[in-house]
Amino acid sequence: MSKMHSVNILDYTLLSSQGNTQETLKSIKNLSVKVLCKEVSTLNEPVKIPYYLLRDKIEENNDEIKEAIKKLIENLSIKLTAQQRAQTALLIGTSLIDRNIVESIESSVYEYKKKPYTSSKKSIDSFASEISKELKLNPFTMTISTACTSSINAVIEARNLINSGVVEYAIVVGVEIFSQMMSDGFSSMKLLSTDTQRPFDIDRDGLILGEAIAAVLVGKDSSKWSLKGAYSNCNSLNITSVSPSGEEYAEVMDKAMSFAKVTAKDITMLKTHATSTLTNDMSEINAIKKVFTSDVTFSALKPYVGHTLGACGVLELAMIMSCVDDGFIPKTLNHKESIIKEYTPLQEHKACTCGIFMLNYFGFGGNNTSVIIQKESI
Amino acid sequence: MKLYVKAQSSYRGNLDASEIKKELKTKYKLDTRRQDTFIHLAVYGAQLLKDKIDISSSDELYITSGVGNIDVLQKTNKYVYKDKEFIKPFDFINMLGNTTSYYVANSLGVKDKNTFQISNNFTFINTLISVFASLSVSKNEAILGSVDLCTNPNEVIKRVLGLDEDAEVTSSVNYQKLSLSSSGAIAEVEFDTKIYSLQEVQELIKNTDLKVMASPRCKDLDSLKDNEYFETMPSFYLNKTIQENENLLYIDCFENSYKIIKIIGLA
Repeated sequence: MSKMHSVNILDYTLLSSQGNTQETLKSIKNLSVKVLCKEVSTLNEPVKIPYYLLRDKIEENNDEIKEAIKKLIENLSIKLTAQQRAQTALLIGTSLIDRNIVESIESSVYEYKKKPYTSSKKSIDSFASEISKELKLNPFTMTISTACTSSINAVIEARNLINSGVVEYAIVVGVEIFSQMMSDGFSSMKLLSTDTQRPFDIDRDGLILGEAIAAVLVGKDSSKWSLKGAYSNCNSLNITSVSPSGEEYAEVMDKAMSFAKVTAKDITMLKTHATSTLTNDMSEINAIKKVFTSDVTFSALKPYVGHTLGACGVLELAMIMSCVDDGFIPKTLNHKESIIKEYTPLQEHKACTCGIFMLNYFGFGGNNTSVIIQKESI
Repeated sequence: MKLYVKAQSSYRGNLDASEIKKELKTKYKLDTRRQDTFIHLAVYGAQLLKDKIDISSSDELYITSGVGNIDVLQKTNKYVYKDKEFIKPFDFINMLGNTTSYYVANSLGVKDKNTFQISNNFTFINTLISVFASLSVSKNEAILGSVDLCTNPNEVIKRVLGLDEDAEVTSSVNYQKLSLSSSGAIAEVEFDTKIYSLQEVQELIKNTDLKVMASPRCKDLDSLKDNEYFETMPSFYLNKTIQENENLLYIDCFENSYKIIKIIGLA
């Protein structure tokens, strides 16, 4: 195993629509998923759609989002010594990077909302440096915005920073809180289901958005979990999708395995991206068929927590680790009939305590990422 | 940490969007539809770099910015929230940070790593650290684009960046092709994660043989400063130093925190 390509995952924590780490695990285990509703705009009139909202509402404002992020980071950094904290970079992955600009536009442009001029910068990336200072972490912070691959790409950035000796540890946070603009944007593209998510099902009709904040601590200390390899590329048919054949997805899956020095036969389970949209699921299932034989175990997590966009990288990584630490791989909800009969996602929870796992993430803008993680047998 | 610059390109000035768009269409034969001024600026800078050096499909691409695509947000915000119109799909797509890096990657034929990232107040210097870390693992080369667009009214961008109300701001796009190898390099750039105090920076200035430039935000330093401001200004001065075959210590600053880069011309 190339040391430059691997790093250990020391801890994880999450806040999803189903609650904290333990509550989310319980909800997955017992198949007791709660979904709320939110109003989005359409060409005609606003409609209420299902939405995986956090139980304790975080207002769409900077202070509440920052406090929620900080709380999760504290959960992880509390175990570090002062010396270790000083060697811990803070990385955020989110699609909300431009949220701060809206406030400035309103304050500057519209008479009815004009505010006195102040020279104070506020944004998701300024949260990172503020939190870093408050928790006495390393001054290096970075916010990555590559759509749905944002926070998993931030995990790869953490791996790079550690393996190149820039820092010894990194906390990587995925953040996605309700944004009216983002929800309306998905609505405008007719990608939202008004019913439920059906990954890889012939009757799938779209995704359901979700809120989440999740974080992992990465470093070289010994751990049962490690990131063995990863690959990210920018290769697509157009700005929103890859080829129906899924060749671009297959390329990242193959290269991630190559960097991790494993083969398809070594993969215990594949966590798919599975947005339940017509095109993405078609491309992904065709990519799976190219890379794996039909006995591959694969599942989709979005029906439990929604599509949390920039947060899904770290959130779904933490969910997989949480489930396997509890002894199982979660089944895919809401699946009745497969797009490809021979390739059916997991229909029942499956006992599993260790193994090698592939995690797929694909986003707008041609960003495709696949990572390989491993949990050693105890 | 040190990276070597293999090529650079710069564009700065009072932006004439129609001319850039025209150049992209006529000179570079690129499809500019469904894009906006910020994306055109980013793609234009990339084409200027491509004019100077071969780009490999395996080069890693990094796009950074002070605030990202302010143009589309300003436009969309007006018609969605003020005029109560429904958001247009391509405006939504263009709001996503990596849409810009997608169009840049497409125009350069880059198909490997592609990221859009921002780091509070020191986004160019911290992205150099990201590039160094990634290249240490991948052994590839990287293209780093720094894009800042100033829209009308410029009060918006000044509020976002936390600048004084009377600050002069401008648009700029600057690219470098970077490598860990010194072979064929035209400059080396040195940087670190350290945050310096005012006293430490003053000490550095006193003891350096290099020419010194400071960001207009460094109000407590008497060093040479630009009259205008854009967030990724160190990227511009890296390129300018190379063009003039000089050496430079560039100092950036925000709220009493200072960061430096050292640029040594090798041409």
